[in-house]
Amino acid sequence: MSNLYEGMFVLDNKVVRQGWRAAKAIVTGILAKHEANTITARRWDERRLAYSIKGRGRATYMICYFELAKDAGPALNRSLELNDAVLRYLITRVDAVPATEAELASREESDDFVVPAPPVEDSPTPVAAAEPEPEAESKPKLEEAEAEIAEEAAPAETLEPVAAAATPEPAVEAVATEEPKTEEGA
Amino acid sequence: MTPKTAMTPKTIEPNRRRESGIDYKDVDYLSRFIGPQGQILSRRRSGFTAQRQKDLKQAIKRARHLALMPFVG
Repeated sequence: MSNLYEGMFVLDNKVVRQGWRAAKAIVTGILAKHEANTITARRWDERRLAYSIKGRGRATYMICYFELAKDAGPALNRSLELNDAVLRYLITRVDAVPATEAELASREESDDFVVPAPPVEDSPTPVAAAEPEPEAESKPKLEEAEAEIAEEAAPAETLEPVAAAATPEPAVEAVATEEPKTEEGA
Repeated sequence: MTPKTAMTPKTIEPNRRRESGIDYKDVDYLSRFIGPQGQILSRRRSGFTAQRQKDLKQAIKRARHLALMPFVG
């Protein structure tokens, strides 16, 4: 017994740049491995992601309708999660394939169809360029901190003898006043 | 005691003619029902029925999972 599913796959643009057919074959190959009957598979869109996934700002979406056995779901999920080309996926159960889907998929299969190459990745700030700036700033900060510690340590030494000289006197007095009481009690 | 006043829903022109379920791929439609910080609007604001609000919630969450819509902002 099998069910009809709709799968939306978010593919890495690095893989798509090497060829759409090859990228598509990755997903359809995984489906075939788990004995799924692929009805339609086509490129849905290439767009900017609402938030970055694995450092990618843009990705290509692929939509696929397929029939799969009920028991094969977890194994398929595991295969998709282990594949680096698939950034995200969503598999939902549907009642029927949309009417326009077959036409759109067949259009992609024709020789005239050309998949536009994904634009250059405009990822957020490069990590390598951001690192040197804190390093350059950190050295003077360390020197300043060491100098401050040295300044703080010097006056503390001068204060210690004064404090030590001031405190013993009252302590001796207190002991002197308490000692006779203890002797009287004993 | 303050008099009871009828609560008027602040609807955002929901397409009541849509008989089919809300599709998570229809991002332009879904984006009408999220606030400025990305939160799903309440039923009072959307004007949807309980069942349709559940469908809306499910569709927005699916769109967020696929990075079609933001979680915040």
